[in-house]
Amino acid sequence: MPKADHLQGSLEILVLKVLRRGPNNGYAIATCIEQTSDEVLRVEEGSLYPALHRMTESGLLKAEWRNSEAGRRARYYELTAKGRKRLEEEEKRWHSVTAAVAKVLRTV
Amino acid sequence: MSLWSRLFRTFRSERHIEEIEEELQYHLAMKAQDGLDPRAARVRFGNPSRLKEDTRAQGALVWLESLLRDARYGFRQLRRTPILTLAVVLSLALGIGANSAIFSLVDAALLKPLPVKDPQALRLLEWSTNQGWPGDLCLWLTGDTTGSPTGPLRGSSIAPRVYRRLAAHPQGFASLIGFSDPGMVGVAFGSRPAEQFQLEYVSANFFESLGVPPRLGRAFSAEDDRVGQPPLVLISDRLWRSRFGGREDVFGQRLRINNVPVQIVGVAPPGFFGLRIGDWVDLYAPLAAQVALSPRVKLDKSLGEADTYWWVRLMGRLKPDISEQHAIGQVSALFRNLVVPEGATIPPGKIPKLITGPGSRGFDPIGTDKAQALWILLLLVGLILLIVCANVANLLLSRAVVRRRESAVCLALGAGSFRLLRQYLVESITLAVAGGVLGLFLSHVLAEAIHSFIRADLNIGGFDLHIDVRILGYTALISLLTVLLFGLAPAWQLARAGVNDALKAHGRTFAVGRLRLPRVLVVLQIGLSLTVLIAAGLLGRSLTNLETMDIGFDRSNLIYVSVNPWSAGYKPEQVPQYIDRLRERLAAIPGVLKVAGIQERPLSGGSNMTTVNIPGQPYREDDAHGVLINSVSDGLFETLGIPLLAGRTFRPGDMVSKSDAVIVDELFARRFFPRQNPLGQQFGTGPKTTERYRIVGVVRNSRYSSLREAPHPTMYFPSSTQLWPGFNLNFVIRSGIPTRQLAGGIRRAAAAVDPSVPVIEIKTQTALIDHLLLTDRLLSILSSAFGILALVLSAIGLIGLLAYVVARRTNEIGIRMALGASQSNVVHLILKDSLWLVGAGIAAGLPGAYLVGRLLKHTLFHLQPADPLTAVLSLGILGVVAALATWLPARRAARIDPMTALREE
Repeated sequence: MPKADHLQGSLEILVLKVLRRGPNNGYAIATCIEQTSDEVLRVEEGSLYPALHRMTESGLLKAEWRNSEAGRRARYYELTAKGRKRLEEEEKRWHSVTAAVAKVLRTV
Repeated sequence: MSLWSRLFRTFRSERHIEEIEEELQYHLAMKAQDGLDPRAARVRFGNPSRLKEDTRAQGALVWLESLLRDARYGFRQLRRTPILTLAVVLSLALGIGANSAIFSLVDAALLKPLPVKDPQALRLLEWSTNQGWPGDLCLWLTGDTTGSPTGPLRGSSIAPRVYRRLAAHPQGFASLIGFSDPGMVGVAFGSRPAEQFQLEYVSANFFESLGVPPRLGRAFSAEDDRVGQPPLVLISDRLWRSRFGGREDVFGQRLRINNVPVQIVGVAPPGFFGLRIGDWVDLYAPLAAQVALSPRVKLDKSLGEADTYWWVRLMGRLKPDISEQHAIGQVSALFRNLVVPEGATIPPGKIPKLITGPGSRGFDPIGTDKAQALWILLLLVGLILLIVCANVANLLLSRAVVRRRESAVCLALGAGSFRLLRQYLVESITLAVAGGVLGLFLSHVLAEAIHSFIRADLNIGGFDLHIDVRILGYTALISLLTVLLFGLAPAWQLARAGVNDALKAHGRTFAVGRLRLPRVLVVLQIGLSLTVLIAAGLLGRSLTNLETMDIGFDRSNLIYVSVNPWSAGYKPEQVPQYIDRLRERLAAIPGVLKVAGIQERPLSGGSNMTTVNIPGQPYREDDAHGVLINSVSDGLFETLGIPLLAGRTFRPGDMVSKSDAVIVDELFARRFFPRQNPLGQQFGTGPKTTERYRIVGVVRNSRYSSLREAPHPTMYFPSSTQLWPGFNLNFVIRSGIPTRQLAGGIRRAAAAVDPSVPVIEIKTQTALIDHLLLTDRLLSILSSAFGILALVLSAIGLIGLLAYVVARRTNEIGIRMALGASQSNVVHLILKDSLWLVGAGIAAGLPGAYLVGRLLKHTLFHLQPADPLTAVLSLGILGVVAALATWLPARRAARIDPMTALREE
């Protein structure tokens, strides 16, 4: 079974968001998430790669081997139209959920 | 996730893992480059092999592994009950095998396309007119004609020269090929006596356009297809192997066809049998070679390459980018220009145009009666499979009941009911696969046996029956279907059984229950058996009706001899003398009572027709004015034993070419000369009013062309007036001794007259009739076999169920007997149970039998689908078998010793 961690639910939306800026490889995606979140969010690679493959298989991403800037072969992921749509939905849902949670935390 | 994507992922998981591996290596390398210690990266990352495991878990591996565990467990279970397993696998093999066998025949005869390149692009081309026969454009026509002589008419063949000019400009078609109907020729290899083989005349582009290049040598060229060229042949792979031992140097071999030396240029690819399914052509010759090879064409100048002799069938290959309508429109326009001579005046309705028909299955496919027979067999054998399923379901149910406690324990310990269901399904699939594989072998043996039965009698090439993807697919499909049918029963039972129910139930006694599902299944079996039984009974009685019908003469001890002096080079003026000499010789054979000559043998499948033109009556070319004709020698009616009703029969004096004497049958006399004395009446044949013929005698009706169709008016000419060059001559012998003792004497007599004239065939009248009834006999034999199989299976089902009931009620029966019940009371108990089952089965089976009978309506001869005698007979047989099947368990019940039975508790 995939290891459970606190990012489990939100990893997908983060990956989609990062890839929104353009195709990238797994390492860069992980680094980007970590740096943007000021190291608050740590991406477990054991979750990232299975997630990437799962998403590729369900058609949210497409993958391709390319030469990276570092000159080595790396697998690059790119958003598909379906992925882009999913990102929009997920973002909307995320905002409404976090807003709702914040409201509960404030008022109760 | 669907089953498919799971399996798919398992198969590609190796590559998948490799990819992840490489990706991870990149990841680690980048981390190291970014200044992190690679070891630290690894630590945070965790164990890569552990990661791999995680990825795997996500795939189908775990799922598959647990499935394998189920299968292993299932095997163990099946091994624990070997007899039950064997019974299940054998009955499945029988059911599946019989179904696949019939299917392989149906597929080969009715469904499979020709073994040529892209058969779906092939179209048969036929001509059609709106107002009947195309006038003087066509004097001789071979192949198929359908329609009416005055209304819309379709014909299959055109003249060879017209064909060649069409083929030179196929227009919208990629190519147009031409070919004759296959016909028998005498073939002599070296100095051996001639044998009969099928030969087909084909166009030069035949093999290339069909995409079946010769396996050896070459195909024909346009040069070869010219009158005057030395005749060439291409032989089938089958002939090459059987007569030339598959040798490469076949091209130098000496071969004579109809006494004409020919040269072999090539060998057709294996499995190619020509363009008629069910036929097997062994020799192919160019169209133009007919002039050199056919004795009939050699003798008659109006045949051969004449534009009024239409004998070439047409097939076109469509171009992918041109529509069928467009292509045929172009070719039809060209055809019209070619076929209508310059300045000729032909009514527009009689000018033929070309139309297309499906061509992927060749031409002249299996007749509708044979097709229907095959579909009926497939239906009956399908019912057998249902009976098998019911049987297997019951066997498995009885085991499932035993295992119910075990299942309940599993459920109580937390196993998902889905897992348990899957367990049963895995076992069912295992059984079905075993039954299917065994059934496949069985089916091949069975199909070959049926096939050789057909072939021996039909003298046809036969079908291509090798096990291919289609047959494999069908077998797999019905195996899967049986799994669904018989595997569902135990699963259903399981789903109904609550955990508490089963666990609370006490040991052995919990299963005494009503056994509702097993009972339903046995009732179903009995019903289906009755259906198959009644169908078999109907088909058998129909065959008997056909076999015993009055054919108008005595069929026993009649034997026909067919010879062909034309193929030995006889001229028309030499033939009458030959006929006289052979007839004399035949009459001198000891045991022969009478000998006569006859053009078409009655009930041999061949017959000739013409239209009569009676003075004072309007002439029409329709069926009502069509009459069957035959030409016979003097003494024919005496030899066959057809009674004379008025006038006289033929005398030797009538056997001159100018004779006007004809003899007609009662039907003829009644239809054309009602309320008149037919004797002395004069009339002609064909459209011109003449008084060519004069009736000298009227004979009783007899069967000539068909047993099934109503008798048709028939007239007989003196054979001297109708000498048809090229055709076989037939003699009929009335024998005083068993006909099988005559063959040797007949061959010696023929050899004594002229050893170069081949004896084509020696056949008794009963053999001819058997041939005519082949389809009916095949149906009767196979349906009877299915009926017996159905009975045996149902009997097993009934015995099994009753025995089970007895075993489960041993205790109760013991108590009853201890309380004073007699043995007959106990037997009565079981009998009542059985009577209910059989009665319900009959009630379920009778409507089914009626429906099947309705389907057989057109196959049955002089028999109603709801024939009471057949129903009574079938019910009787079923009753006897059911009584036997009841007697065994009832006897066991009666012999129960109350003390033993009670002590067991």
